[in-house]
Amino acid sequence: MILIAIVIGCILGAVIGISAPMIPYTYSGYLAIAIIAALDSVFGGLASTVNKNFDLKIFVSGFFGNAILSILLTYLGQKLNVDIYLAAIVVFVGRMFNNLAIIRRYYLEKWTNRNQNQTQEQTTGEEK
Amino acid sequence: MKKKQIAITLGIVCFILTIAIAIQLKTIRNTNTTISQSLADNALRDEVLKWKEKYDVTYKELASSEKELDSIRKEATRNDTTSQAKQEEIKQNNMLLGMTNVQGSGIEIVLKDNLTASNDPLLTLNPSNVIVHNIDLIEVINALKNAGAEAISVNGQRVVPTTSITCVGNVIKINGQKIGSPFVIRAIGNQELLYGSLVIPGGYLNILKDAHVVVEGPNKVDHINIEKYDGVINFKYIKSR
Repeated sequence: MILIAIVIGCILGAVIGISAPMIPYTYSGYLAIAIIAALDSVFGGLASTVNKNFDLKIFVSGFFGNAILSILLTYLGQKLNVDIYLAAIVVFVGRMFNNLAIIRRYYLEKWTNRNQNQTQEQTTGEEK
Repeated sequence: MKKKQIAITLGIVCFILTIAIAIQLKTIRNTNTTISQSLADNALRDEVLKWKEKYDVTYKELASSEKELDSIRKEATRNDTTSQAKQEEIKQNNMLLGMTNVQGSGIEIVLKDNLTASNDPLLTLNPSNVIVHNIDLIEVINALKNAGAEAISVNGQRVVPTTSITCVGNVIKINGQKIGSPFVIRAIGNQELLYGSLVIPGGYLNILKDAHVVVEGPNKVDHINIEKYDGVINFKYIKSR
């Protein structure tokens, strides 16, 4: 169900994005950092779904808050001539890997559990 | 119910995300074709800016040192009439050489490339006709000098004895600096003479106008400021006899 929604969202977004207007090059740096923030939010949402503690308010506020903060940081970095956006990228990508690890563990456990159950059922069946 | 909510939110977020990615990809692709945005380019640009800054700082230092030198000279020659006279002479000579900022009445004329000429099929036959060449500047400056101009500058570049005006591709090099259209020529001298020397029938301005170069002026201006020559004149081979 969640996977289907994500796929539909991606397809719709790609279709509309292709026909969307271009933005000036100056702002593409900000958009890039916003993309990373959004990607992080998606992974965070998936991980929290897996952990069964998904909260809509936290998710939405995190999505917009992260994006806006990272854009502001990038702007500040450009003014100060320091690449602050690198820090944002490191944080986001690091969290992405963490979340991916949570998701991976959950599904691996599920898979191994199912295998064990199957083998158990097989062995019990043979005994009978 | 809860799962549906999660699915919808994640779907919307993914929707926004892919739109952003698509726009970004498009922007980057387009930018790469028009402007080369490689790291090497940026580094070179930074380097140029740094050198320019250094140059500006040094130039300011030079200006302040010159001022200091001037005041020291004044101090040293205060009680000495002969050296005071010499001092005056140096000042006069520097003014004549174009080493000082000067001000006075004169004329101003602007020569521009004709950018609207492409609408005229006759003019597009030879686009070289409708742009300003180094020869044009030389001819105008020559006419001004002939009329007794005492100080001439082109786009802020003072015309001094060592000035050369050469063509370097699509820009003109004067005093080693590259300048482009529009060319603002300022001259200090007798306004009537300077004006007359330019607008005289058969004069060079008429020729330029016939060639459809954009000519603004000449305008008589009462207070023209002409910058000093900001280079250094070095002599290596000439000696006084």
